[in-house]
Amino acid sequence: MGNKQTIFTDEQLDAYQDCTFFTRKEILRLHGRFYELAPNIVPMDYTDDPDVKLPMQLIINMPELVENPFKERIVQSFSEDGEGNLSFNDFVDMFSVMSEMAPRELKAIYAFKIYDFNTDNFICKSDLEKTLNKLTREELEEEEVNLVCEKVIEEADMDGDGKLAFADFENMISKAPDFLSTFHIRI
Amino acid sequence: MYYSEDGIINEDLHPLGTGSVWRTSESPVSNQFSEKGLRHRGNESHLETIDLQPMLQGRSLQVWTELQDEDEDKPVKEFCCSMQRKREIRQKQEKLGAKKNNWESWKQDKSRSIQQFQSKASESLQFLVLWRRTINTIGGNFGTGIASYFTFLRFLILMNLVTFLLIGGFIVIPNIVFQELNVNQTSQSSNSNGLCLKYSPNPQGLERYYTFIMDILMGTGFMELTYMFYGFYKNTLVILAEFYYNLPLAYLTTTLFYFLLSLVWIVVRSVKGFKQSLVTENTQLSNYTSKIFVGWDFCIKDPRIVKLKQKSIRYELQMDLEEENMKRKHAERTTSQRATIYTLRVFFNLVVICLTGAAFYCIYLSTVNSQVLLTNSSVKENFILDLVVGYLPSIVITAANFFLPIVFGIIIQWEKYTLSWEIRLTLIRCVFLRLASLGMLLYSLWDKITCSGTPQDAQCVTCGYNIDQYKCWETRVGQEMYKLLIFDFLTVLVVILLVDFPRKMMVDHCSCKPIQFWGQQEFLVPQNVLDIVYGQTVCWIGTFFCPLLPLLNTVKYFIIFYLKRLTLFANCRPADRTFRASSANFFFMLVLLLGLAISWVPVLYSIFSMTPSKACGPFQGQNKIWETVPMTIETLPKTAAEFFMFIGSQAFVVPLFCLCCILMFYLIALASSYGKLVMTLKDQLQMERSRKIFLRQVSY
Repeated sequence: MGNKQTIFTDEQLDAYQDCTFFTRKEILRLHGRFYELAPNIVPMDYTDDPDVKLPMQLIINMPELVENPFKERIVQSFSEDGEGNLSFNDFVDMFSVMSEMAPRELKAIYAFKIYDFNTDNFICKSDLEKTLNKLTREELEEEEVNLVCEKVIEEADMDGDGKLAFADFENMISKAPDFLSTFHIRI
Repeated sequence: MYYSEDGIINEDLHPLGTGSVWRTSESPVSNQFSEKGLRHRGNESHLETIDLQPMLQGRSLQVWTELQDEDEDKPVKEFCCSMQRKREIRQKQEKLGAKKNNWESWKQDKSRSIQQFQSKASESLQFLVLWRRTINTIGGNFGTGIASYFTFLRFLILMNLVTFLLIGGFIVIPNIVFQELNVNQTSQSSNSNGLCLKYSPNPQGLERYYTFIMDILMGTGFMELTYMFYGFYKNTLVILAEFYYNLPLAYLTTTLFYFLLSLVWIVVRSVKGFKQSLVTENTQLSNYTSKIFVGWDFCIKDPRIVKLKQKSIRYELQMDLEEENMKRKHAERTTSQRATIYTLRVFFNLVVICLTGAAFYCIYLSTVNSQVLLTNSSVKENFILDLVVGYLPSIVITAANFFLPIVFGIIIQWEKYTLSWEIRLTLIRCVFLRLASLGMLLYSLWDKITCSGTPQDAQCVTCGYNIDQYKCWETRVGQEMYKLLIFDFLTVLVVILLVDFPRKMMVDHCSCKPIQFWGQQEFLVPQNVLDIVYGQTVCWIGTFFCPLLPLLNTVKYFIIFYLKRLTLFANCRPADRTFRASSANFFFMLVLLLGLAISWVPVLYSIFSMTPSKACGPFQGQNKIWETVPMTIETLPKTAAEFFMFIGSQAFVVPLFCLCCILMFYLIALASSYGKLVMTLKDQLQMERSRKIFLRQVSY
């Protein structure tokens, strides 16, 4: 290919290409975006796999994420420590899953993680309430919020425990053909 | 509760201990519980080795992802874990790959390079996709529903372009070439009554200064003698040494071919949308879940649009809750209330029918009188009057399609339907009005041309059609379609310039209550789609009579794309009720198919049942346009002629029809049995749920 870049070794780029849905060019562009967020911290040379993590505050100020009501949850779901600090690997992973080419099952797993605010592996009523408030800027009345949450649990809950396990969520998502086009961030 | 965090049944926590409750359940669905109970009773320490049913085990996220990880054939990128772990899995896969023999590793290498080539090819093909970036921007700012309108428009532009290329390649260019080369063309038209042959489109007498513009706008005069209209083509054969070109046959077969091509293209495109619609057929069951989990478009970046989207989600949820409320109230209606509502509905439907009938009558009158008035000399004096009279049918159709939907919108409020039915019924009425008004126009033309279908009538008996008023009736029909196209385009232009922009300016600068209440223009997708489909139906009907119409339509849609994009970004706010992209595509294709079916009727009727003009056109002198085909078949070698005759005969068509019916019934039976299977599975799921709720209650 004749690329003269010195940011990654060829094996690293091959590994990225196999492990994500991006091509080499896109990975290099992503590195450029990552670098722009914090030019003082992010090294230009990734050949020795430096362990550099950017705090959540920097990531959620990216133009693609800054207006998203779920930006904190998105970043937290992809971070290894759950606090939202992303290394470059996590960064690429995040945009790879949110890209157009990721399959539905993979997106559903991460969507479930994002909507699970208290990270107890279930979407319970309080998670639903928080999701709803973020979606409507808290402009719904309290009893409307209550009604809607109850309806959602009624529609999706399969085992009657009052909260959504992943299987319930996946079942609902599989019936919604718009999911692939809406759960998508373009970078 | 006896489901622990990671989903594995921990028997120690089971309140009933050894699972004695399983023994009492008899139905087949609960057998899985019985087996588990049996297994559990003996071995308390063998929890890890027990083959737990995936449905219970896979409920939790961790176990689900771990299950997926065990599937070694999946590509690494689809695993759900951190990048580090993916790299480890990849290395493991490569080591396993290294153990495989040369054939396997060569196959893997090849498949990887094919994948890379495919991704590069699709990447470069992306550049060829017209307006990809524009439509992405529109989707990001206004949602996928509005973006799907623009995708639909782009699809129609492409289809029109392909149609024009076909027509150009097989009809127009050969004609031009033969004309230029001054090739000897043998005429095929037989001698007819001299009366029928009198046709001179060039105006006699004094030419006014505006004749040129008038001719372009109305398609008359010199325009009739261009390749634009049917009337200019001749019924000739070209025989040059071994080259043989039958112009009328080319005209006919190209027409049939592009109709079939359009049908196949639309059906293929709509199959995708249909499949998706089938999956989401029970939107009632997952209405709220879809809105909450799938409702937010993660692509949106503009803060204004985010606010609007949040407002629209809130509005949608409130509407849904209100609709549920209303449904409950409707169910509680007393019989007398129901009776009043039903009588009201019948009354209003009658009102709708009367209004539509009145509109149709106006269209009929305008078509008939337009032709008559055009020959009136006092009308010809005045440029404006002449133009208005010529465009009278188009004006009436456009006016009807503008005012009646507003009236429909008001009437539907009084009929007290639920919200979703309101939308559906209004749409059905608008679609019917649009397409039927076109049909009415064509009917009134037919009525005049064939003297209401009575060939013995005084005016029609000499030539088979009304020779006084319609010396070249196909060109006349083509002119009507041409005028409809131009008027439609002008309407779009005028509405954008004189209604949208001033409205935006007024809303921005004037803060008085009524104007702020009127608000900014909303981009209503269904109405815009109906406009586009109407234009495309006009084009399809008109192409047989006016071969260059697809080119005009391509240009018109091209300009409309940019105009609509301009007005969208400058003047519009996103619709309050979001139009789902998936159901949108299916709706567009369905209406388009309806338009195609309607456009076939006049064309096929003209080909099979009407007498072609004797003075003009590529079928002059024949009794029917379709006669070209049998005439050509007779000139083929004997076996080929017999083969085609056989295909056209009843001995072939009737068994073929029966076979198709049988196939169709088989497919319908198959589909309904699948539907029943789905219903049974859904019932089983519900039963499972109720059972679990019951068990939970019992255990507490």
